[in-house]
Amino acid sequence: MTRRALLIALGLAAGGALLGLPAQAATKTTQGLIIHDAPRPVPEIDIRDGDGKPAGLDGLKGRAVLLNLWASWCMPCVAELPALDRLKPVAAAKDIEVVALSLDRGGKVTAVNTFARLGIKALDIRTDEARAAAEKLGVSVLPVSLLLDRQGREVARYVGAADWEGAVAARLLEAVAAGRPLTRDMEPPQVRPTTAP
Amino acid sequence: MRSADSLGTRWTMRGLILALMTLAVTLIPALAARADDPDRAFSGRFLLVDMNGRTVSDETYAGKVRLVSFGYTYCPDICPTTLNTLSAALDQLGADKDKVATLFISIDPERDTPAHLKEYLASFPGITGLSGTPEQVAAAARNLKARYQKQPAENGDPAAYSMDHSSSILILDRAGNFLARMPHASAPDRLVERVRGYLQPKAIEGRP
Repeated sequence: MTRRALLIALGLAAGGALLGLPAQAATKTTQGLIIHDAPRPVPEIDIRDGDGKPAGLDGLKGRAVLLNLWASWCMPCVAELPALDRLKPVAAAKDIEVVALSLDRGGKVTAVNTFARLGIKALDIRTDEARAAAEKLGVSVLPVSLLLDRQGREVARYVGAADWEGAVAARLLEAVAAGRPLTRDMEPPQVRPTTAP
Repeated sequence: MRSADSLGTRWTMRGLILALMTLAVTLIPALAARADDPDRAFSGRFLLVDMNGRTVSDETYAGKVRLVSFGYTYCPDICPTTLNTLSAALDQLGADKDKVATLFISIDPERDTPAHLKEYLASFPGITGLSGTPEQVAAAARNLKARYQKQPAENGDPAAYSMDHSSSILILDRAGNFLARMPHASAPDRLVERVRGYLQPKAIEGRP
């Protein structure tokens, strides 16, 4: 057994050496659904609406929230917005609020222009006034969607663009709204944009 | 690799272990040499083309502390927030930001033309996009000890490839010498603290 373990270890070392992969290949950012062991408190973020008025998460207390973080310079983020726009009324019927928070440094104007270009109807303009959301929420890649329970705690996050309109996502969102434990089989498939939106 | 059980005798296994060990001993140092050869000196030298189509070199930024990151604008499924972090750091630097050159080197010159870089970086005021010929980019990455590798798209579309690349943020002194390597997820405050430290006249310089 020890010998076999040694053989495998040596084989792996030799294989890695032969491939000569950059370090990133071994430490790629985790994508997809990350379910937290315990709900996490969400730090306060200065979110503003299209009029520059405060529109923080505290205004959504008692409701489950899908908080999507996006930016106009992030192609997969922009590609995901129309699906989130269609999801918003569907999710609202299940008592889940869909919030798309723009991290653009250009603020409101950039978000408004992107929404207009995409023909967004249901999503509201939400901007990260203090430009601190990514840091506060520990987000180092976009898009990312945080799933918050009715107590406003983060129970899971999805890294990358998800198929939010499928049956799997529906089960996930229902579980979040109902405060039921989340399981791996609730992970919606990842969506990769094929063309620039 | 065949399993140890199917090989049968102890003799064969010893032989195999010996062969693999020899292979590993030969190859592991080769990998280490290629990846982070301590003998291969770090150099801040480069000759690239900026997003205005101007040929620039490290000397263009003489007298400024440099914040250097690598990347590309076409991110197929997830995009790092590195440039957001750098922008936030520049905001925090206030008047000191004029003493800093923030350079984003595209390791995808095939798609990141100067015009495209300029359009993309309009979202990040104060950050200068650099690219160049594939050879120029390769030479800059070699000097700055950054690595990148093209990854073909899963769907086989030749135009939809992605790039694996070093994600850290480099801090170089006013002459282009190495000062620090920061993780790409560093908080802007941490970057600002380091840069401010280096802007002091008696900064202690690190080594690569």
